[in-house]
Amino acid sequence: MLLRWGKNNIAFMVLFFVVVAIGIWIENQYYLQVLTFIGINSLLALGLNMLMGYAGQISLGHAAFYGLGAYTSAILSVHYNVNPWLALIGAVLTASLIAFIIGIPTLKLSGYYLGMGTLGFGMVVHVLFREWSTLTGGASGFVGIPPLELGPISFLSVRNYFYLVWLIMLANMVICRRLIDSRIGRALRSIHDSEHAAEAVGVDTANLKLMIFVFSAAMSAVAGFLYAHFVSFISPGSFTFLASVRMVTMVVIGGMASIWGALLGASLLTLLPEWLHAFADYEMVVYGAVLMIVMILLPQGLTRGLTEIYERSRK
Amino acid sequence: MNGRENNLKSSLLKIESVSKTFGGVQAAQDISFKVSEGDIVGLIGPNGAGKTTLFNLITGVYTPDSGKIIFEQTEVQGREVLTLVKMGIARTFQNVELFENMTVVENVMVGQHVRTTCGFWGAVLRLPGALKEEKKIRKNALDLLEFVGLESVADRRSSELPFGWQRLLEIARAMASKPKMLLLDEPAAGLNAVETGTLAELLNKIRSQGITLLLVEHDMNLTMEISDRIVVLDQGRLLAHGTPREVQQDEAVMAAYLGKA
Repeated sequence: MLLRWGKNNIAFMVLFFVVVAIGIWIENQYYLQVLTFIGINSLLALGLNMLMGYAGQISLGHAAFYGLGAYTSAILSVHYNVNPWLALIGAVLTASLIAFIIGIPTLKLSGYYLGMGTLGFGMVVHVLFREWSTLTGGASGFVGIPPLELGPISFLSVRNYFYLVWLIMLANMVICRRLIDSRIGRALRSIHDSEHAAEAVGVDTANLKLMIFVFSAAMSAVAGFLYAHFVSFISPGSFTFLASVRMVTMVVIGGMASIWGALLGASLLTLLPEWLHAFADYEMVVYGAVLMIVMILLPQGLTRGLTEIYERSRK
Repeated sequence: MNGRENNLKSSLLKIESVSKTFGGVQAAQDISFKVSEGDIVGLIGPNGAGKTTLFNLITGVYTPDSGKIIFEQTEVQGREVLTLVKMGIARTFQNVELFENMTVVENVMVGQHVRTTCGFWGAVLRLPGALKEEKKIRKNALDLLEFVGLESVADRRSSELPFGWQRLLEIARAMASKPKMLLLDEPAAGLNAVETGTLAELLNKIRSQGITLLLVEHDMNLTMEISDRIVVLDQGRLLAHGTPREVQQDEAVMAAYLGKA
């Protein structure tokens, strides 16, 4: 156990230094921007992985929480002149509260039914973003979201934003790791393996599922906040059913029940479209093909697949 | 027949005229018996006699249509599984149900869920109380693994264990909730003779810790050997109830269960 904690901490430290090193050496603004998006997407994948990978509950509507975080923060800071950092708290609370209310009836479902339930929820929220135009700007989007600043530090600089996003991502990775290795985390994993047996040993499955649903919604809202204040313009198109599917794909491709999997999956799915610009019209074809190949060759996801290949090569 | 000599020991569990119907099938029909504290009680009967139904009624998975289930002087019929685990009723399953992606020791650690308190913030902030509890959980789990003889495989994935060991692990996991009463659903099924012998020893060791045992078992030798009392069910009804010897000599039992008188 101690050894494992040690290994985790070393890995987190390594990631921290990689982030700092990238921040120092990479000058290209475009690269920094892409890396920032990878950070935001990793945060989304990490939150969803806690729900899907660890607790075994699928959500096909998580883009709704991502959007709720983005829109709440945008509305509060533009329409009500709230300081963006306070707006972040508002965004997280709003998403958490809605997740709580939606979670109580929805999480009674399981498997495909839960998938359909969350999918429906995601669509309703998307329609709200599009139609409630007095508040959200409707289909044409929400403009003029203020940039973040913290005392003398301005996050208008892409480099500073990159640091901000990745520090938040790292903090969340540590939080998730701690949660997974705790009594609560073990109970969550037990639900994944056998809900029936988890109940029989006295795990309050309904309550725990709700808790992790709210937690992952809150993480998505943080990602939404970071996204909104980074690009300063949001539109309903970023929070559609397809965005939810993309989040699920990141989790599955990266590897279920793996903190590093979230990072790998988000990296691959963010980078692929950038690399594939060269294919122009055939971009989506190649994109789909790559995902198919990864799933065929590494059905457990990148993390476990690559670990296995590494272990085999050592023998 | 009804065990009056047992009045000296207090009864931990009383089943009073419990009935349960599933779409016209009488799975349990007016069943009454008592389980005394510290006893090993064997629940036997042909397939479909209602043994597992009775287990599910006692552990709170099902609610009886009528009748009372009294555990430690409290009526518990209709209470949730979770509440009953907290009160001290633990169980194992007929088809071993472990947490397969978790290690052996983690399985037993989850078993302590109701006896521990660390919540979300305790875990995330690594509060001193949470860390202390975590150490205790781990130590308790390892002690229990030693008790059932699995300490050497503590960090293996539970699905990698041979079947007999999985059964032992499930017992350790159930004991982790510090039960007063442990219900074992066919603990010897799928075990070879040696493993069954080990199991019998283990069950006696558990009893000597003051835990009352109720087991469904098809292995007659084992059941008759270790049980203080036997309850015989047939087609959802209580057929007989008494010491192993009394039951073996009961004509109704012989006719219905052991074949021909």
